[in-house]
Amino acid sequence: MVSKKVTLVNAQGFHMRPADDFVNAVKKFPCKVTMMHNGKSVNLMNKMFIIASAIKCGQEVEIICDGPEEEAALAELTGMIENGFGE
Amino acid sequence: MMKGLGASDGYGIGRVMLISEKNLEYTPKEIADVEAELERFRASVKTFTAETLAQAQTVRETVGEKEAKILEGHISIIDDDFMRGEIENLISAHQCAESAVEQMCQMFIDMFMASGDELTMQRAADVRDVRDSMLSILLGVNEVKISDAPAGTVLVVKELTPSMTAGIKKDNIVGIVTETGSQTSHSAILARAMEIPAVLSVPKALAQLSTGEQVIVDGFNGDVVTAPTPEVIEEYTAKRDTYLREKRELELYRGKPTVSASGEVYELCCNIGTPKDAGKAMEKDGEGVGLFRTEFLFMDRATLPTEDEQFDAYKTAAVVLKGKPLIIRTLDIGGDKEIPYLGLEKEENPFMGFRAIRYCLKNRDMFKSQIKAILRASAFGDVRIMFPLITAVEELREGKALVEEAKSDLRASGIEFNENIPVGVMTETSASGVIADLLAKEADFFSIGTNDLTGYTMACDRGNSNVGYLYSPFQPSVLRLIKSIIENGVKAGIPVGMCGEAAANPMMIPLLMSFGLTEFSVSAVSVLKVRKNIAKWTKAEADEVAAKVMAMATEKEITDYLKTVI
Repeated sequence: MVSKKVTLVNAQGFHMRPADDFVNAVKKFPCKVTMMHNGKSVNLMNKMFIIASAIKCGQEVEIICDGPEEEAALAELTGMIENGFGE
Repeated sequence: MMKGLGASDGYGIGRVMLISEKNLEYTPKEIADVEAELERFRASVKTFTAETLAQAQTVRETVGEKEAKILEGHISIIDDDFMRGEIENLISAHQCAESAVEQMCQMFIDMFMASGDELTMQRAADVRDVRDSMLSILLGVNEVKISDAPAGTVLVVKELTPSMTAGIKKDNIVGIVTETGSQTSHSAILARAMEIPAVLSVPKALAQLSTGEQVIVDGFNGDVVTAPTPEVIEEYTAKRDTYLREKRELELYRGKPTVSASGEVYELCCNIGTPKDAGKAMEKDGEGVGLFRTEFLFMDRATLPTEDEQFDAYKTAAVVLKGKPLIIRTLDIGGDKEIPYLGLEKEENPFMGFRAIRYCLKNRDMFKSQIKAILRASAFGDVRIMFPLITAVEELREGKALVEEAKSDLRASGIEFNENIPVGVMTETSASGVIADLLAKEADFFSIGTNDLTGYTMACDRGNSNVGYLYSPFQPSVLRLIKSIIENGVKAGIPVGMCGEAAANPMMIPLLMSFGLTEFSVSAVSVLKVRKNIAKWTKAEADEVAAKVMAMATEKEITDYLKTVI
């Protein structure tokens, strides 16, 4: 299992498109992915659950990957957040 | 006259077209033929996708890429494995497609609204838009044709939705009035993107107005003028024409460097109060941030923010600015800004008392955690530190010593930061103006705060109506201090900026150019205006004006003269 804490840097936080991109990226990997925010696990089945968590710019989330390709998944997912989803 | 929230600048004069809400009522029924109902649902998703793609294409051409993306995002709300799966499960349990779609949409609308976060609550508008479009398709209700609106139409709607904007022809719609929405709602964002004047949150607008009646929409102050007389129409027509002309002229300065008519280049930055404002500064064409007020991090809470929390905020701003300068002012507390949990004693004379750098130097742990947070952010951009309210050289020395301490702490922990981070002084007291030569030897930059500088120099409270008349940065005393601060900075070879309101004043600009100011820091909305004003002057002309002004004896003489030259 690998994990990393990252901070959201794009001004709008996890809005529609980033949440969509993120869920699609999670689906690419065979490992189990968990995202912790304010001590709670965020449902990554659908972007709508991510949006409902209201994770804002400047806030921290922890990404936890467990299983096959966990290193690659962690690098890609945290990279997306650190790059502000290209915004 | 009706009153709302001015959310998109401009004046619109036209005739009302009411867009009433569609009737989307239905009676939920139990479905016998599940397969047929699933088919009906899948067909409706296909229709919705095709319609929305077409709308997005129109919006892309008429409004912009960002707004088109919002609409395309709507497709993925419903055309999503999870969402479709859940809806199909409900249908398989014999629920009709309408109620299955509505139930799933409503679940997310409720979740978004329960978040308590403004941005997230606004996303609920997207889900509502999708729900209504899907229900219209399933129920066979025809869309109201906004695209048929004739020239000179003022649209009156409950809420402006992204899918509605697809029908809007920019040339025909001169104003928008809605019953709901805030400055940051879709309605506001879309109206601003289309540059259509808009007034939001007008209670019962649909009931009070009728199609065809003449109205004026004032997107600045939120007025909706009903039954305007010919005189009023004439007045607003003139206002509108002036506004549009000036706006066109200002747009010429977007994306251009800030240069005088004789070729001197200046830096034109923005004053911000939150990391989010950094994005706005970039949007409004600012060349960096000349003043990041950090008080927001400390206010409206019960305890001190941690170093990490501060670091996140500073880093966010630095990342958004992509290498452009970011001057972070350390905590400016006390005076009129109270923070209950700091337990500051009530003072007889708070503006002369325990505030800003004075408080920070006495509360070293708190101050050091802020400095460390700023230093850590300096690994992510051109971050600079500025101390407020400096009145003596020792304060600058003590502050700098603390910066060095913080640096060695970070070095010991192996944390990256900019070793050469510039440390500057906010010159906003008469004392700092008088000893500007001494401060310039030890500071990396100056930034003049004209609001406090004026108040302290004139010993007057701008809010006190008996003495407020004294409060003017054009007082000869204040101008002399400004000149001396700039000239001493220039002589020492350090940059000198101004982050007070005066930096955006067209009458002040030629004086600052003549004195040798290197950076103007203004509110984001003033960037293009200031750039235009700077471009108007050659250095020689500015020098001539400044020489005349500096020989004058009274504030009135100075402002009377400056009004004739701008």
